[in-house]
Amino acid sequence: MTTQDKKFEEQEVALSRRDFLGLLGKGAVCAGALVGAGSAVALSETQGSKHAFQQNDEQYAEAVNDPPKIPDYNWNDHQWAMGVDTTRCIGCLRCMEACKMENSVQMDANHYRTWVERYVYLEGSNTAIVDTQTDPKNIENTGSETKFRFDNRYRNAKVDKAFFVAKLCNQCEHPSCVQVCPTGATFKSKDGPVLIDTTYCIGCQYCVQACPYGARSFNQSRGTAEKCNWCYHRITKGLNPVCVEVCPTGSRIFGDRNDPESPISLFIRNNHVQVLKPEMGNAPNVFYIGLDKEVV
Amino acid sequence: MPKHIVRLLGLVTVIAIVVFSAKHFLTPDSFYQYGHFRGNAVAEIASKVPKLDGSASCEQCHKAVYAEWTAGIHRKATRNNAIQGVVYKSGPGCEVCHTGPAGNHPSKEAMPLSIEDRVTTITHKHMDHPANVPSRKLLLSPEDMRSVCLNCHEKLEARPIFQRQIEVASHSGEEFCTKCHNPHSPRIIYASLPQVRRGDPQAGKAVAAVCSGCHGEAGMSTSPTFPNLAGQHADFLVDALKSFKSGVRKNDMMSPMAAGLNEADIRNVAAYFSRFSCSVTGGDKAKALLGKAKAANCAACHSAGGLYGSGAPGVSGIPTWPNLAGQNAEYLSNTLKSFQDGSRNHPVMTSIAKNLSDADIDNLSAYYASMKCK
Repeated sequence: MTTQDKKFEEQEVALSRRDFLGLLGKGAVCAGALVGAGSAVALSETQGSKHAFQQNDEQYAEAVNDPPKIPDYNWNDHQWAMGVDTTRCIGCLRCMEACKMENSVQMDANHYRTWVERYVYLEGSNTAIVDTQTDPKNIENTGSETKFRFDNRYRNAKVDKAFFVAKLCNQCEHPSCVQVCPTGATFKSKDGPVLIDTTYCIGCQYCVQACPYGARSFNQSRGTAEKCNWCYHRITKGLNPVCVEVCPTGSRIFGDRNDPESPISLFIRNNHVQVLKPEMGNAPNVFYIGLDKEVV
Repeated sequence: MPKHIVRLLGLVTVIAIVVFSAKHFLTPDSFYQYGHFRGNAVAEIASKVPKLDGSASCEQCHKAVYAEWTAGIHRKATRNNAIQGVVYKSGPGCEVCHTGPAGNHPSKEAMPLSIEDRVTTITHKHMDHPANVPSRKLLLSPEDMRSVCLNCHEKLEARPIFQRQIEVASHSGEEFCTKCHNPHSPRIIYASLPQVRRGDPQAGKAVAAVCSGCHGEAGMSTSPTFPNLAGQHADFLVDALKSFKSGVRKNDMMSPMAAGLNEADIRNVAAYFSRFSCSVTGGDKAKALLGKAKAANCAACHSAGGLYGSGAPGVSGIPTWPNLAGQNAEYLSNTLKSFQDGSRNHPVMTSIAKNLSDADIDNLSAYYASMKCK
């Protein structure tokens, strides 16, 4: 064997670095495709069925056949949803204050289950200036951390357009917060709302970070996560959530999607509704009309 | 098998037994009932007692106020308001302004108390929240009420136009909303305004003797620079005399006059002059025509129809606001000028007068002087 032959053979046998990396790349693509396909199947399964996150068939059957013992209420009969008509919101923040009262949320401006944002486009500007009740100027205006009001800072400004948008937990069909909870303290109930079992919450705040809508906060005094649950204790008794109850202009609409004549069904049917951040894939259950391009 | 492996396996087994038995005993029965959460939690969350009860629960005891609210614009604001196929709920209910959960309201048994006791009981009961909720007053003071009204009715750029909004400075200045509006039924219904204590015109006659030198025996003044008092609203005259007395208004003649009058004198003399019927003093007709065009601004307050309707021009619908019809043109124009130069001040009138030219003032004065006053 000549030296040249030997070299040739060595080249044949040993994998060159270039080939190795090429193969590695192909392998990664194949593996990725496999995983992707697998998760796509898994996703389509969860989206297709009514199963909640990590709920097997047996548990789903249990939820249907033996619903939680709530007097005069069966969670199989309802599918709650909320609508927000931003064109009717006057930014009075009564919803927020009533919510804090009803649900014993901490009373300072930075803890809340629902809130209202003010979007203002000044003349010639293409970007909105956004503020909420947590803005120091708004707090200063009321003179108290426990009263909530928007100040009149744009009185003399040249405003092109301005509007309020009420926000709250979207009670998503695929809630990120439930997915990350390490203890099973937060979960999706069968009738819609995402609930928190405060006795099981360890206050790790993963859910606060996971929520793409910033709808969760941390209740310092209780040491657990805090979020809107559409006043689950009220809706199971036939009452409206308290923010809907106090809204003086009817900017919030609530009801049962199983009932085709409920306010929310009419709202969704008769209007072109939108949801916030549809690209996140969370499938929110709060439907908006009158959203502007900059509202996220 | 080597000893150390046996020990290791043993240790692992023990740990496994401890972990699994701990999981078995510590996991609540309902944990995997419906999924990866405690099934009983659903019913527990649902069993919380609602705190806000809705306006209907207030009606049980507060029937009169509830009826007032039901008849008023606050109730009607959005009632049966079908927009884009959706029937919106009714306007602001009790708990929107009286922010305080009715769920903590004292029971009926606890209610038969004196009014003072009742007030403190209500406010104290309403402080009965979990510690992190500060106290809220159920009964609102005028100052509170102002901020409560402005929560929804202050003019903000972002507020939709269907909402009734006010520029505070020009609408009411420092006045409290409740001076003119009943918050339960805020649209001003003139007939329902509370009657102020009426004076006795007979007793007022004695007091009026001093006034007649300038304001005339029957309230028609002796000089065009002095105002006619005949037919003027008694409530306005009382307000005017009181503000001279307290120094809010100053006038070389009137201040010492008013200083010598007591409360009863003021009421009586006001009642005395308001009973006379006035006669038209007249004004320049050409100017009056020009003034009529400008008077639309004044009509909101100084006409019988008030803010929401048309009525006899110059006869104010609210008894604490002056009638202008039949007043002396010269007095009217002097008054507007005194608002302009700041020698007289009023939250509404000062800003309105400052937007008028001298010609406007002349024309308006002529217009109101020529109007029929009753």
